Amino acid sequence: MIAPFRRMLVGLAAGLCPVPSLTAQLATPRSVPATYAITNARLVPVSSPAIEKGTIVVRDGLIAAIGANVAIPGDARVIDGSGLTVYPGLIDAFGALGVPAASGQPAGGGGRGGGAAAAGGPAATSARGANSNYPVGLQPEVSVVELLRADDDAFSGPTSVGITTALSGTGNGIFQGQSAIINLAGTDANAMVVKAPVAQHIGFTPLRTGGYPNSLMGVFAALRQQFLDAQHYRDVKAAYERNPRGMTRPERDPSLEALLPALARTQPVVMIASTQREIERALDLAKEFGLRAIIAGGSEAPAVAARLKAENVPVLLSLNFPRRAASASADADPEPLRVLRERAEAPKVAAKLAQAGVKFAFQSGGLSTWTDVTGNAQKAIENGLAADVALRAFTLQSAEILGVSDRLGSLEVGKIANLAVTRGDLLDRGRVTQLFIDGRPVAVRLPTVGANAGAPGLTGTWTVTVSLDGSDYATTWSLRQEGTRLLGSIQGSLGPIEIQNGSIGADNELRFSATITLKEGTEEATFIGTLDGNAVRGRLAIVGHTPGTFAGTRPQRAGAPGGGPPAGNTPRTPPGAR
Amino acid sequence: MNRIFSLATVVTLAAGSLGAQAQPVAAGAGATLIKNATVLTVTKGTLKNADVLIQNGKIAQVGANIAAPAGATVIDATGKYLMPGIIDPHTHMMSDAINEGSLSVTSMVRIQDILNPTAVNIYRALAGGVTSINILHGSANTIGGQNATVKLKWGESVATMMFPGAPPGIKFALGENVTRKNQNQIIVVGQPTPPRRYPISRMGQEQVLQDAFTRARDYKATLDDYKARVAKGEKNLVAPRRDLELEPLVEVMEGKRLVHAHGYRSDEMLMLLNVAEEFGFKIQTLQHGLEGYKIASEIAKHGAGLSSFADSWSYKIEAYDAIPYNVAILMRRGVNTTINSDSDERVRRLNIDAAKLVRYGGLTEDEALATITINGAQQLGVADKVGSIEVGKDADLGLWNNHPLSVYAAVDKTFIEGKVFFDRQQDLVMRDQKAKERAELEKAEASASTRRGVQPVLPQEER
Amino acid sequence: MTRVRLIAAAALAAIVAQPARAQLGSYNPPPGPQKTFAIINARIVPVSGPEIAKGTVVISGGRIQAVGASVAVPTGAEVIDATGLHVYPGMMDAGTSIGLSEISQGANATVDISEVGSFNPNAMAYYGLNPHSAHIGVTRVVGITHVVTRPTGGILSGQAALVNLAGSTAPQMAINRNLALVIELPRSGFGGRGFGGFFAAQQGPANTQEVNRTRERQLDSLRTMLRDAEAYGKALDAYAKDKSLPRPRQDVVLASLVAAVRGQVPVLMVADRASDIKEAVGFAEENKLRPIIVGGRDAWQVASFLKDHDAPVLVTSVLDLPTREDDPYDVNYGAPAKLAQAGVRFAITSGDAGAEARNLPYIAGMAAAFGLSREDALKSVTLWPAQIFGVGDKLGTIEVGKVANLVVTTGDILEAKTDTKFLFIDGRLVPLESKHTDLNNKFKDRP
Repeated sequence: MIAPFRRMLVGLAAGLCPVPSLTAQLATPRSVPATYAITNARLVPVSSPAIEKGTIVVRDGLIAAIGANVAIPGDARVIDGSGLTVYPGLIDAFGALGVPAASGQPAGGGGRGGGAAAAGGPAATSARGANSNYPVGLQPEVSVVELLRADDDAFSGPTSVGITTALSGTGNGIFQGQSAIINLAGTDANAMVVKAPVAQHIGFTPLRTGGYPNSLMGVFAALRQQFLDAQHYRDVKAAYERNPRGMTRPERDPSLEALLPALARTQPVVMIASTQREIERALDLAKEFGLRAIIAGGSEAPAVAARLKAENVPVLLSLNFPRRAASASADADPEPLRVLRERAEAPKVAAKLAQAGVKFAFQSGGLSTWTDVTGNAQKAIENGLAADVALRAFTLQSAEILGVSDRLGSLEVGKIANLAVTRGDLLDRGRVTQLFIDGRPVAVRLPTVGANAGAPGLTGTWTVTVSLDGSDYATTWSLRQEGTRLLGSIQGSLGPIEIQNGSIGADNELRFSATITLKEGTEEATFIGTLDGNAVRGRLAIVGHTPGTFAGTRPQRAGAPGGGPPAGNTPRTPPGAR
Repeated sequence: MNRIFSLATVVTLAAGSLGAQAQPVAAGAGATLIKNATVLTVTKGTLKNADVLIQNGKIAQVGANIAAPAGATVIDATGKYLMPGIIDPHTHMMSDAINEGSLSVTSMVRIQDILNPTAVNIYRALAGGVTSINILHGSANTIGGQNATVKLKWGESVATMMFPGAPPGIKFALGENVTRKNQNQIIVVGQPTPPRRYPISRMGQEQVLQDAFTRARDYKATLDDYKARVAKGEKNLVAPRRDLELEPLVEVMEGKRLVHAHGYRSDEMLMLLNVAEEFGFKIQTLQHGLEGYKIASEIAKHGAGLSSFADSWSYKIEAYDAIPYNVAILMRRGVNTTINSDSDERVRRLNIDAAKLVRYGGLTEDEALATITINGAQQLGVADKVGSIEVGKDADLGLWNNHPLSVYAAVDKTFIEGKVFFDRQQDLVMRDQKAKERAELEKAEASASTRRGVQPVLPQEER
Repeated sequence: MTRVRLIAAAALAAIVAQPARAQLGSYNPPPGPQKTFAIINARIVPVSGPEIAKGTVVISGGRIQAVGASVAVPTGAEVIDATGLHVYPGMMDAGTSIGLSEISQGANATVDISEVGSFNPNAMAYYGLNPHSAHIGVTRVVGITHVVTRPTGGILSGQAALVNLAGSTAPQMAINRNLALVIELPRSGFGGRGFGGFFAAQQGPANTQEVNRTRERQLDSLRTMLRDAEAYGKALDAYAKDKSLPRPRQDVVLASLVAAVRGQVPVLMVADRASDIKEAVGFAEENKLRPIIVGGRDAWQVASFLKDHDAPVLVTSVLDLPTREDDPYDVNYGAPAKLAQAGVRFAITSGDAGAEARNLPYIAGMAAAFGLSREDALKSVTLWPAQIFGVGDKLGTIEVGKVANLVVTTGDILEAKTDTKFLFIDGRLVPLESKHTDLNNKFKDRP
């Protein structure tokens, strides 16, 4: 309960003061000598072999020198790096860091700072394109830089594990707009920006307003039509520029205009896709319009590895591995084998992609606990990923995929001085003792408890009764919230169902569709409801049927936020045991 | 690659699920000879003690005492029945969405975009001898989305499951589901109340059709005009804006896209036939068409097919006059008539639904079988490839342990293009494998969670 | 806090919808008189014994008078030559709500299947039954001659009735109007009723503990009501013997429960999941009720338990899709075979409210395709349901003295192709017409 209050205070301060953060007022940043030398440290440049004992010099925000035998400049502030290792700062290759969280946004799925989740309500409302002909959610001109806030509090989590840089998008809508790469420190939002725009982002979750498109089919049709319209807009505009006389002036359209770089392949398009079929659909769309695709998510990317490699499509691989939820109740249905396989597979994905020659970078994927981000990278290493490849996927490879390897991703002279200084191996239980961002030291702070390790949102196993047409259906829901996306499956009396088009919005409103088989036939049910702690309730609509209701609970485990993995694995209770 | 995963791989391959580059069970691409079966060709009568040779995915030979080519898999089908793979002209199987119900005309959406080739209900349908299906958009709006004709090659990619050469189609819908749509909408406080979507009456449905095809006709004129100007050699022309909503409707008017129209009441179906005639196109199938028997002559005259339930009725008002004699009445008038499931449950036993037609209306056994095989192939425009056991057609077959019109019949094997996609014996083996895999995965997970002691610790400030 | 509400006035509909008995036409022709009939030259499948390849069944006064290969035809009997035809006992669908709900969607006025509230032991299917429901005529012509029809919903749903599918009034149809009490226990884990019900969206925060507490309260209320009914019955008896005692106040609700708490009538307990089934049987035993499980989807998982407790099952789920992703494709098709093997008493039912009850024989046939013997499949829709309800001496076989519910068919009664040629219910010849034949006749020759 402290966290939201704190957040409110920070928000208040940001609202009242011309400068965005309280600490910025107290510092006098401009005239402080900014030359540092870390000596006697192990240096891991990533772009070249490690230097067991050397010095790295940082001046005016950039790396000035690095090597075993580097002279220490006279003006440098010297830090004895004995026993420490210096890495390039890690890059979270996709999230919504720096995008203010919604008030009342479910803490789940990462809450503030976590993945796409943080881009909830207010972000969505303020991310309205000016004078757009398209509804919110289909406005590619929206740019995340307009939304960014410097937010030390939100950055304490990622920086505490060595992340200095992130790709941030709005995380909202179908055309999610243009992302930016930001450094996770700075006195104001503009100072944080490393590069913007970086990419156009596409999510495939239907609009939540009930307007077109409100289904996955509609999403694809809307995307297709808008790309076609952009092509047409481009051609008409070109024709008009060639010879305006006698031709009606084409109307300005900022939304179509914003798609032209993507169509011209000067701007990559990040497409959110995890399962094999999601990835294949995204690749098909990219192919249809000649887009430079980047896949974000990628849990089943190995199944599409050959195609990803052939089409030179990199993957921003989510480290938000599925976890076993607390078992719901004695009569909950056993988890599908598919789900067990997913969990077993998750830590192996990176190694498989590496082996298949698919380029990938790591992203936090909306994980709420930042230690799990590096912890899961470590799991990937335990499951066959070479440690140096893992580090690359967090640094230089990430920078390459995002088009900033000329300034970030390795310890090389002239690059931005984003450093993670650790005691021990960064990805193997090492501790980050010190960070440099833009050449300035950043203290490692414990993330505010609650700010990052939020409630699990809808993640977990639910026992839900669905009432429809006078009958009650006992069901078990295994849900996973990733940012604003809602994934999972339903088992029980409505049959085994994978939920589709799931999302959770501001005010904890969830919605998804599911194909269920009733006596009359196979139908699509749209579930809309609210999450309230460990209870969900709401309604479901089926064409041709009177709306039904659903209500359910998720059992809490003492001392842990619901839905977390049980420490000891509790297999399902055999049927009938009470 | 630990042992558990390799086991998982084996099972995955066997099941053709997840992972999905999977080869289907058994048989392989080589020749297969099915020996000594009762062969229900559907179009050419029933052959006792006959052999069917499958080569390169096609039916190569049908007859007595066919010699097995070298290396062919030989299946002894003594006492068993071989029939064409069942075709279901109306399902919503393997769809990650069914309705784009936000608008009254959603001809731009495509079922093909959202198919899930690993859906378990595909396998359950294969176990009922089904090999091809027509996946339709739902019935939320007057003009729905584009359908997908699919072969149930479970676990293969959507691209390979799409029925090659099947003509494209589109779903229309009439009646209660369309007009009542908004009454079924859930309104959320804090969000603007959406206005009731037009139409809420059967009158409005007719106007939605009129309006859409009028617009499509104008669009076509624009396209034609552009093409003419290009042909005349005009320079510096910009092609007209492509309209994904109207393009499919132009194709409908040009006879290139088949209309599958959901309707129950005779009056609404007749209205649709009239509108279609006005715009110069044909309705390929009336879907459900439970009151089709009341306008059998008109349907026959228009040349539409009809795909009905065998005997479902009374579940809503517009289904109250449904009768199980519908199919027989229409068939006697020369209407191509089929049985569909519209259900992942019923699709598993279409053979029994077909058998009911022998009782209700006195269809012959071949006629009854035709309603779930060749007639469906004709409705979907793929009768040259599937729907009967004839030389040259795709080897999409079901091998049954009893006459498929018997309630005591169960499927032994289901073939698509000669590959076995369901095999009851294999299925029994897979059950054990799956149980074993589950146990191993659960065990591995349990031991992993006890290793959690080595989790990375929270970073602490050092001074 | 966002609240979800509904534009469709389901609540309003619930209030406005009167228990009106919609006629929607009357399509069921009345049966003829109870005459003497002799069905000769028939292949007789008595179910109680071996088939008789060629024999005679004589019925009179509503009863079977004689069965055999060499039975004399009584003088004056109406003779039905059944050469090439089969005679079966009429089938019994023990899992319907026939006559209580005509059109489930969009026609609330035709639905009388549930009462308001959770405790309605006194709601009688007998009084909701519409003898003119078109479902009746359509169902009986496939050879289903008698059914159990039951109310649904709530916790104590009401009283099920056993009825013949012939007659113009409920009294003419009823074999037993107080056949069984219907209980739908609130589910463990999450008690749907009261929470999953209509007011779910209006409820405040809930959690598992609260839900379980609510469920416990509901179960306590149920137990209390059952104990009260026991005491009520005792007080009535005592007063009958000793008029000096204060006269007990009459109570229609408690009165409706007395037979059940005394074990005089069974209790239909709706349960599909293994844990729910065990809980239902446990609850019944704890409260001295005689349980019959309705649903029983996972009953095979607890077969030995059911056998040990001699709890019979009315299986409604043979044709249900497997509910779990990893279930074998035939898990529900094959369930009756597993029950039979384990020695659990069961019947196969359609589980349908009414319109689709006529699929009963094919459902049994499907179970036979997946392991149940054909003989047992037939018994599961004839003799076994009768025995489960204690009317095995009256119904379910072709034996002398039994109620003359008989079907004369063109072949195996479980086959979908098989047609019915003659139908006898309660010894009366029933015309083979229905709403469907009526519409067929009206339109089949329309030019």
